[in-house]
Amino acid sequence: MIYSWKKIVKYGLPLLTFTILIEIFAGQILQGKQDALIKLPIFLISIPVINSVGGNIGSVLGARLASGLHVGYISLSMKDKEMHDNLFISLLIGFITYLILAIVIYFIAVFGNLVEDIALIEFIAIIVFTGALLISTVALVSIFTAFLSFKRGLDPDDIVAPVVTTVGDVMGIVFLFVILGLIGVGI
Amino acid sequence: MYAKEMVKQSLPLIVFCGLGAIVAGSTLGVMTDLLEEIPGLIVVIPAIIAMRGNISTAFGSRLGSAYHLGIIDAENLWNEELKQNIIGSLILSFLVAIIIGILAYITSILPPINVYPNPVKLISIVLIAGVLSGIILTLMTIVIIYLVFKRGYDPDNITGPALATFGDIVTMLCIFGSAILVEVVL
Repeated sequence: MIYSWKKIVKYGLPLLTFTILIEIFAGQILQGKQDALIKLPIFLISIPVINSVGGNIGSVLGARLASGLHVGYISLSMKDKEMHDNLFISLLIGFITYLILAIVIYFIAVFGNLVEDIALIEFIAIIVFTGALLISTVALVSIFTAFLSFKRGLDPDDIVAPVVTTVGDVMGIVFLFVILGLIGVGI
Repeated sequence: MYAKEMVKQSLPLIVFCGLGAIVAGSTLGVMTDLLEEIPGLIVVIPAIIAMRGNISTAFGSRLGSAYHLGIIDAENLWNEELKQNIIGSLILSFLVAIIIGILAYITSILPPINVYPNPVKLISIVLIAGVLSGIILTLMTIVIIYLVFKRGYDPDNITGPALATFGDIVTMLCIFGSAILVEVVL
């Protein structure tokens, strides 16, 4: 037998506990802003979306870098052309995805009578700006984690996805509130 | 046209996962009354979703590797290897759910937050939501894996995105359900 529940629990628990600690931190930021979020539920809807897209793009980039490093067509250099192409495409996909989803969220919110004092253009700008900051951060973390784990002889496939999704969850929430503060929406 | 291929292959899937997240987000959007009534509830939501995502994708990817190693296939799915994986995932969900509840409570009562949730309520909500979503997603993974085997696809390409999309929705609905249940019973 290859698998035993004891090993699954033993190897899973430390990384999960660490992840949970960081996610609780993200949750406390939300609790601090809870009153404002309840007044503007359109952003409550947006938070899982911002985080999901950021996490997915970071994980896909990480998986591609891992394959490239394993096979050898990506080298451990910050000047690697293949890595730059992957980074650029991730940013492009992120931008398009946030644009499409912002429009969908806005119309769902209009349909559900949840929109107060926010124009479509303003909402798109907030989501796309937050998204652009998040994707840039997540992509850099993904490259850094993939390269560093590979260099240490670890498999980036095991490490990049959990690291990137956790960092993305916290930073997505932080960037959203920073952008909202800058634009001056009542949060 | 390497770049064009990459955009064509990943964009639709990432947008589709995003649409799934909108369903999860909308569930959160209609929970505003519960969020006001149960202090600390909003704190545990990112943690439960992250726990669920981590445990189920690891479960799915282990089953994918088991398939490639020839340990499980469509005719020989329900065996001891699968059972060990199921038990491991569910015990992990149980333990991590308790840790989430305790950490959320402790970090809430400390400065600078100073919010005082009901610890029994909070831990009960996390535990019910965590274990229930764990059972539902484990069953869903097994069904997905079975269908993928039957058609001869590679499970590695399918289980990850499918679990990411449905996982968030199922987990959010479980949190919603358990919060209502605990609010009514306790």
